[in-house]
Amino acid sequence: MLVAFLVPVAAGQRELHFFNWSDYLPPAVLENFTRETGIQVHYATYDSNEAMYAKVKLLEGGGYDLVVPSTYMVDRMRKQGLLRPLDRSLLPHFGNLDPHHLDLPFDPENRYSVPYLWGMTGIGVNAERIDPASLHDWADLWQPRFRRALLLPNDMREVFHMAMRVLGLPVNSTDPAHIDAAYRKLRELMPNVRLFSSDAPQILFITGEVDAGMIWNGVAYLAARETPAIRFVQPPGGPLLWMDNLAILRNATNPDEAHALIDYLLRPEVARLISETVGYATPNAAAIAILPPEIRNDPLIYPPADVLERGEYQVDLGEAIGLYTEYWERLKAGQ
Amino acid sequence: MSQRPEILKTVTVGLLAGWLLSFVLAPTLLVVGLSLLSRSPAGFAGGPVTLDNYRRLADPIYLHVFAESFATAFIATLLCLLLGYPFAYGLARARPGLRPLLLTLVIVPFWTSSLVRIYAIRGLLAAKGALNNLLLAAGLIDQPVRLLYTQTAEIVGLVHVLLPFMILPLYASLEKLDPRLLEAARDLGAGPFRRFRHVVLPLTLPGVVAGCLLVFLPALGLFYVGDVLGGSRHLLVGNLLKDQFLEAQDWPFGAAASLVLIGLLLAFLALYAYAAKRIAPDDG
Amino acid sequence: MKNTARFEPGKGIAAAIPPGRLYGVLIYAFLYLPMAVLILGSFNASKYGIGWQGFTLDWYESLANDAEILTAARNSLAVAALSASLATVVGTLGAVGLHRYRFRGRKFLMGLLFVTLMSPDIVMAVSLLVLFIGLHLELGLFTLWLAHTGFCLPFVTLTVHARLQGFDNALVEAARDLGAGEWTAIRRVVLPLALPAIAAGWLMSFTLSLDDAVVSFFVTGPDFEVLPLRIYSMVRLGVKPEVNALASLLFAVSLSFVVLAQWLLHKDRH
Repeated sequence: MLVAFLVPVAAGQRELHFFNWSDYLPPAVLENFTRETGIQVHYATYDSNEAMYAKVKLLEGGGYDLVVPSTYMVDRMRKQGLLRPLDRSLLPHFGNLDPHHLDLPFDPENRYSVPYLWGMTGIGVNAERIDPASLHDWADLWQPRFRRALLLPNDMREVFHMAMRVLGLPVNSTDPAHIDAAYRKLRELMPNVRLFSSDAPQILFITGEVDAGMIWNGVAYLAARETPAIRFVQPPGGPLLWMDNLAILRNATNPDEAHALIDYLLRPEVARLISETVGYATPNAAAIAILPPEIRNDPLIYPPADVLERGEYQVDLGEAIGLYTEYWERLKAGQ
Repeated sequence: MSQRPEILKTVTVGLLAGWLLSFVLAPTLLVVGLSLLSRSPAGFAGGPVTLDNYRRLADPIYLHVFAESFATAFIATLLCLLLGYPFAYGLARARPGLRPLLLTLVIVPFWTSSLVRIYAIRGLLAAKGALNNLLLAAGLIDQPVRLLYTQTAEIVGLVHVLLPFMILPLYASLEKLDPRLLEAARDLGAGPFRRFRHVVLPLTLPGVVAGCLLVFLPALGLFYVGDVLGGSRHLLVGNLLKDQFLEAQDWPFGAAASLVLIGLLLAFLALYAYAAKRIAPDDG
Repeated sequence: MKNTARFEPGKGIAAAIPPGRLYGVLIYAFLYLPMAVLILGSFNASKYGIGWQGFTLDWYESLANDAEILTAARNSLAVAALSASLATVVGTLGAVGLHRYRFRGRKFLMGLLFVTLMSPDIVMAVSLLVLFIGLHLELGLFTLWLAHTGFCLPFVTLTVHARLQGFDNALVEAARDLGAGEWTAIRRVVLPLALPAIAAGWLMSFTLSLDDAVVSFFVTGPDFEVLPLRIYSMVRLGVKPEVNALASLLFAVSLSFVVLAQWLLHKDRH
């Protein structure tokens, strides 16, 4: 009887281990993929690049086949030899991607990564409780009236990115003086922080646990579907941009299956379904073309080109990451 | 006599001893060794031998985490003791026919998943959860109270999960208490306080120590209490360990931090042995 | 302090509820109400648990259709059955050894068992992770099996040992005097005497393994997810009604196993 338990999949069945951000893929996509290809997908989720990276290192670059690092993490992982060069011949749908999102400095010529979704970080407000007009810029978060009220993402890079912006410093600075200044500024924000969470923050808004915080535009989109009073505020100045990318691990045991899934995700109708469901922008030009106009023209999901141009992505910080980590730990420890 | 008993002895004792040496003692020694190395970018740890990790524990950041976590665990332990002692006393005095049922009702939460029970507490304390709804309906408040993501929420969760771990050892020692001793003390003119202070408490001290051990150490280590009820703002030693091993990739430092817990465990056990020896010197 | 804690009504039945009994009821309420609310919530149609919106079995149905959860449930049951069985075999034999024989290091062994019993999960989790990575074992079913057996072992050993201590050794000696070999005496006398404790030990180990989140979090790999970890990741994602259903089911299994184990241990003590 026990033996029956221990044979998870029939011998010879193709499988794939996919490690993705939480709430980042409608389950139907994987079900359809399995139905079509017969490849069984084992799906697990993480809530920060750092958590994913640590797990990958722990498993010696194996274990998972496909991961979804953000820009700076693609940069770091490819430099450390953790990623496997992509075989473009297995990705016939690669051409669907908007060239604006390709060949960026974190991965020249997209040798290791394929853009999956991108978005902006801004301020989320429950308009029933707080006037959005009174909270329209990052610096407003420091107001004493938000004592113990704010949600921040459990994401070191995002939080420091925001602090650097408030101080007018280069957002990817590796200068210890800048990092120290950002840390001091954030320390003043800590009395206002109620919690750190990157796992489905929309639920915290919907269930009334928080009324304001730093969130991703897709989170606000999902929250507003349940509670229309929840708004996404894009602070003036350039947006905080990020992009998450599909990448195959160097020691992946199922690289062919991973390529098959990447290509499947690049199909216009699949990319469209994902973008519609999770509320983030797709880099897939063919998918954008078939999106409903109210989404395609929503400036909070697809900002106009001039706004986009002023935005900045996070890049790998090299050695300076150690200093960031140390200050981050201090902040969370209440120092 | 044949050799069978010897073989049986070797098999029965050997299996158990082999298991404990390989999976308890050896890994603990590995952790001790690891704590003396330093983090290495290539593998998990490398030489040379150093005490740096222990020095880092004294760094203000970590001292602060430890201090906060210890305070949380201490308050939770104290509350468990204050709530659990009279309860265990009543349990030990309950009608014998009723006792198995009452006891089973304490044992069930002891054995059920603490994660599930922490999650249940979160549902209770949520802004739109049961407690707030009740208070709103009763007209006691007109705005939901934000109870989650505070140290108080963590303490409530810890007490909820760990109270049975305090009650059961207390009950075990209170049950053994001979009522005739109390009668004798009363006959000698001792009031309720003195009877408690000089008879009951010393005799149940091993139960108190065991209960505190079973509450205090898990209260430091249950990392999901910090995540689910503390909003990753009020970190416990368990969160620190989890971060060092599974996120920051600093195994030697994590090992040093986990040895602090092992040290505490041994200190508690020594205290327990001392308390037990005092009331029953011959049992050893 | 002591008088307020009396459960029996005593002489003052006139008083509506004696304070001692009221106190007891309050403590039980504190222990059980959160679970009761959670179980009730698992039948609530409201997606975010905001107010009661009618009875539904939808969340149980969506669990039954969730392939990932079913896999995790199957994995959990397999690990629990394997770990409980191995812990019961090693633990029972060990308890017999500790009971029957005197040897050097016996006290040390008992001490080690006791320390293992008392040590917090996280300490065990960390040291086993270090051991497994050091041995280059792939994290998954096998490492979970070893780890779970490890934390169940002291429970089984000490439960069985306590049961054996409670019996008169004369029975075994009599069997030996009648010419039974050591093995026969153990098999025919000792083990049957210990059987309720052995069964209870297995049941409690099964529960312990099924419910463990801390140790599993450290020592399993991506190939092998178990239920508590699934619950943990769902819980981190906020209120998902399926978690209520899953948590209620897990609670129901633990409850029945624990009650059964308690009954086995105490049925012939009255």
